[in-house]
Amino acid sequence: MGSMPAAPRPPEGPDSRRPRPPVPNDRVPAARARANVPAVPRPATARRLPSARVVRPRLTGLGDRARVGPLREGGFRGRLHDARTAVSLGRVLGVALVTCFATGLVSHYLQQPPGWAVDLLPSRPLWGYRVTQGLHVASGIAAIPLVLAKLWTVYPRLFAWPPLRSVAHALERLSIAVLVSATLLQLATGLLNTVQWYPWPWNFRPAHWALAWVVVGALALHVAVKAPVIAAHWRRSSPATRQLATADGRDRRAFLATVGAAVGAVTVTTVGQSFTPLRDLDLLAPRHPDHGPQQLPVNRTAAAAGITAERLAGWRLAVRGPRPYELTLAQLRALPVHSAVLPIACVEGWSRTAHWSGVRIRDLLDAAGAPHSATVRVVSLQQHGAYAVTELGASYARDPLTLLALDLNGAPLAPDHGFPARIIAPNRPGVLQTKWVARLEVTT
Amino acid sequence: MTTHRFMVLRCGVGAVGLSAMGFGAVQLVTDPGVAGWTGVLEWLAAAVVLHDGVLVPLVLCLGALLGARLRRRLRWAFVVAGSLTAAALPVLLAPGPAANPSVRPLDYPRNWAVCVLVVGAAAVAWEAWRWAAARRRRR
Repeated sequence: MGSMPAAPRPPEGPDSRRPRPPVPNDRVPAARARANVPAVPRPATARRLPSARVVRPRLTGLGDRARVGPLREGGFRGRLHDARTAVSLGRVLGVALVTCFATGLVSHYLQQPPGWAVDLLPSRPLWGYRVTQGLHVASGIAAIPLVLAKLWTVYPRLFAWPPLRSVAHALERLSIAVLVSATLLQLATGLLNTVQWYPWPWNFRPAHWALAWVVVGALALHVAVKAPVIAAHWRRSSPATRQLATADGRDRRAFLATVGAAVGAVTVTTVGQSFTPLRDLDLLAPRHPDHGPQQLPVNRTAAAAGITAERLAGWRLAVRGPRPYELTLAQLRALPVHSAVLPIACVEGWSRTAHWSGVRIRDLLDAAGAPHSATVRVVSLQQHGAYAVTELGASYARDPLTLLALDLNGAPLAPDHGFPARIIAPNRPGVLQTKWVARLEVTT
Repeated sequence: MTTHRFMVLRCGVGAVGLSAMGFGAVQLVTDPGVAGWTGVLEWLAAAVVLHDGVLVPLVLCLGALLGARLRRRLRWAFVVAGSLTAAALPVLLAPGPAANPSVRPLDYPRNWAVCVLVVGAAAVAWEAWRWAAARRRRR
């Protein structure tokens, strides 16, 4: 996993111990690629066929005594540990990781917007968060086979000899160690988060946020360092690709198709948790759209939130603003009812569309004399958890589809869905769709 | 693109990458919400050790045990079944009861077995078809 040479410098070539020229070899094939000049024929060892024996130079020197096991020259005889395979897998993995990062940013800022943006968050498209967070989890799951295949391809580089050639080489290997460890940990802990399993001592969310920047940064650095190698192997017809053993071409295409099949398999068996047309194939996802009270999954139950019959007894909705008022459930139900078909989409990746009806938040705010620019603080009866009090920005609060929902799919809300009243707004993370609402406070 | 512009672009992308890494590292160390960044470092190291020191050697040993011929033919089935297993590990192994009945609501051991059996059946069918095709050609 150290530097991968652009052209397949033979690992066993007689020149492998020669001091490197001041200009890295990597640049030459890239220059050739641009000029479209055929490369100088390589020594025969470069195109070693699977069965060909290689004559190795006898290495001397004290340090070489340590070259045992996989550190030996020719320690890896398997095929496809080459730059073309790494580039083919790496660019797909890169797309998956960047998608994961970008959708993660969307989720982060929808949940924790900077102060100036609280009232500007877009409430359209209706399905926005459903798609971005579904993609976040799906691209993370798809990246699992990709990252394992990519690391398998470059695994022999872990035993590159000498282990460290120079300060620059040491830094480059360090950056790869950071990229590999952060990527593996992000994918593994992200997957565990979807089943709500936290075997580590630190907090998932802030660590996931910080490591996401480390991964995407290390990825950019890796692409910059390897750019000549990537360019030289970008296409099947690229100059350096053609230097590789032609016998590997078919094997490589089969391997890439296999990895594609693995990505497809993990995707179709999990994506049904958010992409409901495929819900019949949802075999391995931690959620299923049809499981839950009123055909809708639940994250925090009434019991977990400390909602009891006593706490709900005598429930009234309080609206605090220039003209504060309170309403009983019967009075709320007597107000004009509006319906909306909106998805509930969780950070953990599942989502499901449902029919909601209730009272528009903007009607409740108008009755309290709130200005159109008002930010609303929503206070829940829930006793535990970080989302007992949430902020509803003006863009959501004024949206005609944002409801204080009383009914779900034609029946009063189940206790686990927030009876007697909950917030449902378009394009919003599920954790902010506050349940068991007791109070709306106009804060500006 | 000239070599010079290519170099400038590489340096630019690399600098952006380094900045993002630095931002992430600072967040990790300075955000008290993380509650124990040294623990995160331990888990980062463990991730590499487990992957490079355990998982890949196991996969290479499995490949060596299969032999070149079987490996060439069955690699796809092992890769697909292995990926499905990796993606299913959390739902298969999560300890204790789920937080509520809509979390992990499915029969995951059965579903995982179905997935692996489908891949196995596809591998057998594919090999049988190849064998039959080869026999037809020989006749």
